[in-house]
Amino acid sequence: MFFRFVSQSIRRSPRRKTMTVAAVAMGTAVATAMLGVMLDIGDRVNRELRSLGANLMVTPKARSLPVEIGGISYRPVSTQDYIPEDQIQKIKSTFWQLNITGFAPSLKASASLDGRNVPVEGVWFLRRFRGADGSLLEAGLRTVNGEWKVDGRWIDDRDRNDTAPFEAMLGGAVARRIGAKPGDTLQLFGQPFTVAGIVSTGGEEEDRIFVRLEVLQRLVNRPGQVDAVQVGALTKPEDEFARKDPTKMTPKEYDRWYCTPYISSIAHQIEEVLPMAVARPIWRVADNEGKVLGKIRGLMLLITLAALASAGLTVWSVMATTVLERRGEIAIMQATGAGNGLVAALFSTEVALEGAAGGLIGSWVGLLMAGWVGRAVFQTSLETPAMLGPVVVGAAVLASIAGAAQPLRRALMLEPAVTLRGGE
Amino acid sequence: MFWKFVLRAVQFRKRRLALAFAALAVSATLATALFSVYSDIERKMRVQFRGFGANIVIAPSGGAQTVPLAAVALAEKQGAVAAPFIYTVGRVESEPIVVAGTDFRRAGPLTNYWRVDGARAAALGECLVGNNVAAHFRLKLAQKLELEGAPCTIRGIVSSGGAEDAQVIVPFDIAAQLAGLPRGDNAAASLVQVRADGERLASVQAALARQLPGADVRLLHAVAETEANVVLKIRSTLFLLTVLILAITTLCVSSNFSALVLERSKEIGILKAIGAAEKKIAALFLSESLILGIASSAAGYGAGLLVAWWIGRQIFPESAAAGVGVNYGVFLPVTGVTLAMAAVATLAAAARIWRIRPAVILRGE
Repeated sequence: MFFRFVSQSIRRSPRRKTMTVAAVAMGTAVATAMLGVMLDIGDRVNRELRSLGANLMVTPKARSLPVEIGGISYRPVSTQDYIPEDQIQKIKSTFWQLNITGFAPSLKASASLDGRNVPVEGVWFLRRFRGADGSLLEAGLRTVNGEWKVDGRWIDDRDRNDTAPFEAMLGGAVARRIGAKPGDTLQLFGQPFTVAGIVSTGGEEEDRIFVRLEVLQRLVNRPGQVDAVQVGALTKPEDEFARKDPTKMTPKEYDRWYCTPYISSIAHQIEEVLPMAVARPIWRVADNEGKVLGKIRGLMLLITLAALASAGLTVWSVMATTVLERRGEIAIMQATGAGNGLVAALFSTEVALEGAAGGLIGSWVGLLMAGWVGRAVFQTSLETPAMLGPVVVGAAVLASIAGAAQPLRRALMLEPAVTLRGGE
Repeated sequence: MFWKFVLRAVQFRKRRLALAFAALAVSATLATALFSVYSDIERKMRVQFRGFGANIVIAPSGGAQTVPLAAVALAEKQGAVAAPFIYTVGRVESEPIVVAGTDFRRAGPLTNYWRVDGARAAALGECLVGNNVAAHFRLKLAQKLELEGAPCTIRGIVSSGGAEDAQVIVPFDIAAQLAGLPRGDNAAASLVQVRADGERLASVQAALARQLPGADVRLLHAVAETEANVVLKIRSTLFLLTVLILAITTLCVSSNFSALVLERSKEIGILKAIGAAEKKIAALFLSESLILGIASSAAGYGAGLLVAWWIGRQIFPESAAAGVGVNYGVFLPVTGVTLAMAAVATLAAAARIWRIRPAVILRGE
């Protein structure tokens, strides 16, 4: 009987019901689209910001101060200070390995070229290696620095090759100074090197020459040694908590800090696996990255809140309208002996059903729209949590019932006779 | 007579109209707020990127070791922030150390990312030291640093994660003197860092390159391109969301207006039964809808500006001085769209007026 009432009511005025459901669906769609975009935009922008280059620098625990200007060292580096090359893969076995988007070891030296001292770096360009779990991973300059403009080609050093031909990539400023083009040959350390490509970054890389790490290690006789590792990591912007001194934290706070991808906790974990090294945030990148991300997250959060509030109000007002319109019906039910509880239950069921239907349609449409925005702007679908749909539908039902509740109570309190006579 | 009708219709259905009004005003609020935020998000996001420091570097080219100091003035003439830097090797306790010299006043905006314990600038006879230097020589604030040729009092300890950590940073003139660089008209620097506004970056770089043929004027691609990229992506995300939400709220508005007509079939029947012309009835409904539309979009506009202002103040407090992030220009589009939709929806629903037969409607079928 109860359900017949409800289903009859829905069937009787299909147009009005469709409009109610449509209004709920629209509100829900707005809310879902905004939430979907908001929840993932931080991660997307974080990845975009990685094109700024490394945000962590790992160097050996040095006994002496580096005296370096423009990549040229003015004091012979103490050969005791180095990071062993066979250890650096451990960076990818830390707790936050998935947040580490790339790392690039380098060995520094300088060579005389055209009567001038030019810094030469031995690096991994794009090296493949097996991670601790056996998966194939990549590291090297190209994983940290995103898009360097290269005239010519990158040196291919996928696998370690001690008999590789001598190839070099020149910084743009070096190439301009000596008038070198890709394919030319130049003398470094008394060996002929072929110019594979010329990199333009605008930064200090312009004044450098890059060669394969194993080639430079052999030429300067520092086998298996690395001077620095640049690391690019996706981090959580620093907040008050992150600025606390980890050594003064309670165990509980320490766990929370350790398990949050703050730049400082990632640096700490790298130092744990590389005890001979110190990892320092490059604040120019790390700090500003955090600020930009914080702004974007905050902005999207507030806009989403505004959208949620308005979506909630829309659903609420639609439901209030439908109840308001049906005061006559309520009065008739009361007049024919239905108890207040029964009428309330009938109407709430109906309203909840409409809310659920609108919520389902709306969240589906909203997810589609969020996906579309993601593809249009970031070229990938946004990752929305699986719970988003159900939660939004639930919220739509709640907002519907909340909207209906007040006018329903008012209607139930009125004398049926008064309502039926057409008065207020 | 006509207006009395309209007025009474509004009075008689106060509660129903209040609800419709609320729904419409909420839509207009959201539209105004989103439009407002969208319209100056680019400017605000670019301000955020200033913290990344220089986006142009003027470096020596060819055989030169220095760039003319005049480059700073040229860059400033282009409306950019610019600061000269000198790098040289000095000695402390007969150990070599990198000494950097800069014009602290000019370098300030370019070195926001320095985390400094103490002061961010040093006067003559004062200096800042990198945290590695401080640790190596066990130095503290206000101590004397025995830098050969230019002893100084330590005013700040800098950590940047970059080269500064291993440097002593002194006023420009001191470093020029230590490096033996010429002063006066031929004054030179090792490097000039420039920060130009993202929008004008390419033209500033081109102008500087033209005026300084002897130097290498380079764009820092990583900073410039990341800024352009992120700003563009945030802008287009907001744009698409604004468009989508506008589309949805417009649909909502139009269905609301249709409902306002449809639910009054009986009234239409009575009006027709007592001899009102269809056109007159349509005009009646239309003016009712337009009044509602104007009132709700005005209210929504006010509320939307408030929301936009609030969001702007919460997220971008530092640019609040340059305008609170409220765009008054969005009134016309928002009202225009609301009114147009009100008119279209009402008229579409009003088509029924011609089809309604009073006898059938009033009989209750």
